[in-house]
Amino acid sequence: MVRKILEDIRAFLKGFGGSFKEQSTEYIEFEERELENVFALILMGSFVGIPSPPTTLVVRLMPHMVKEMHVMQQRAINLDDIFGEIAGMFDID
Amino acid sequence: MREFLLPTEGFRAVFVIGKGGVGKTTTSAALATAIARKGYRTLIVSLDPAHNLGDVFMVKLSDKPKELRENLYASELDMEKLIKGYLKHLEDNLKHMYRYLTVINLEKYFEVLSFSPGIEEYATLEAIRNILLEGEKWDVIVFDTPPTGLTLRVLALPRISLIWADKLIEIRKKILERRRMIAKVHGDRKFQLEGKEFTLPKEEEEDPVMKELLEYRKEVEFVEKVITDPNKTSVVAVMNPEMLPLYETERAYESLKKFRIPLNMIVINKVITVEREIPEIKVKLDAQKKVLEEIERKFKKVEIIKVPMFAEEPRGLEWLERLGGMVLEG
Repeated sequence: MVRKILEDIRAFLKGFGGSFKEQSTEYIEFEERELENVFALILMGSFVGIPSPPTTLVVRLMPHMVKEMHVMQQRAINLDDIFGEIAGMFDID
Repeated sequence: MREFLLPTEGFRAVFVIGKGGVGKTTTSAALATAIARKGYRTLIVSLDPAHNLGDVFMVKLSDKPKELRENLYASELDMEKLIKGYLKHLEDNLKHMYRYLTVINLEKYFEVLSFSPGIEEYATLEAIRNILLEGEKWDVIVFDTPPTGLTLRVLALPRISLIWADKLIEIRKKILERRRMIAKVHGDRKFQLEGKEFTLPKEEEEDPVMKELLEYRKEVEFVEKVITDPNKTSVVAVMNPEMLPLYETERAYESLKKFRIPLNMIVINKVITVEREIPEIKVKLDAQKKVLEEIERKFKKVEIIKVPMFAEEPRGLEWLERLGGMVLEG
């Protein structure tokens, strides 16, 4: 019985800690995603008509940009709900 | 002798610039011949896609330096081949990660890249960089350049590229900093795409994007350092005593100043000198006089040399040596 209670408390604390951990980096993760998006957008800017860095640099960086391009793609898909994401982050319903 | 045309620290790069048809190739060939005659190991390279360096020397040239006489080597860069090679190199770089890049149709992008604006400038810059990297093989490298517009854009590229690289490095640093913060709480993060798992790099040394950025920055900085160093680079502008070349030289002078590239000398080519008055060409001579006065007034800190219009075109080594002597010695 005592053991069960202890296990429950441990699970609760773990969950509590986990959620606390999640929340603690939420803003930084959002910021990181935005920076990755901006980084990819700058490199791909010529496709939407904004000035681009030197072509050499763009083509040299592109093979290593898998994550950033994925983020950029996701951003393009979720673009109309970007305020929803920000509102969610600040617990605004 | 004009010191700014001779090597002081290691090698000297001399860029001969000017409007189309003013005699850049002849002047640069003459200069290279005269410098070689003084005992300096000299290479003259034509970057102009409309090659006529070989015509001036009256020999056939290729992209490998050819020895024309003791200490004098000449080559003509094949720009088309260069652009193809340059794109091939970039394409190979891309291929191994190609399948992940599904955001845009990259294959089509590559097909049109060889016609994209600016590609010629990048290829030219790459060619200049490769020659400068092997600069120690020579005492003086004379570049016979394409008409002013393209040359100025090429010479401006290193500075512009550095600004871009610095800005991207700054953003990348921020990204990596945030990744490190997150990793401290959650441990190393994985990223999954098409069933393949990647560990997100968080340190500058392990991030391929950062490595590529720093490598590129280093490469461009090398060219930038050489072309802005007055002990290593000189620019010679060639013009005719007419208004349009004067305006173009002025613009070039301002541009070069902005990018801190030293313009040391203006060669006024094909100056008409007559011993007695000829009424038929009086208008032409008056216009020429006016341009010459303007040049003296506008370029006070730049050395100016006048080369007369010769009865015959200066071609072949002997002619070039005489002409080069005039430019080199004054």
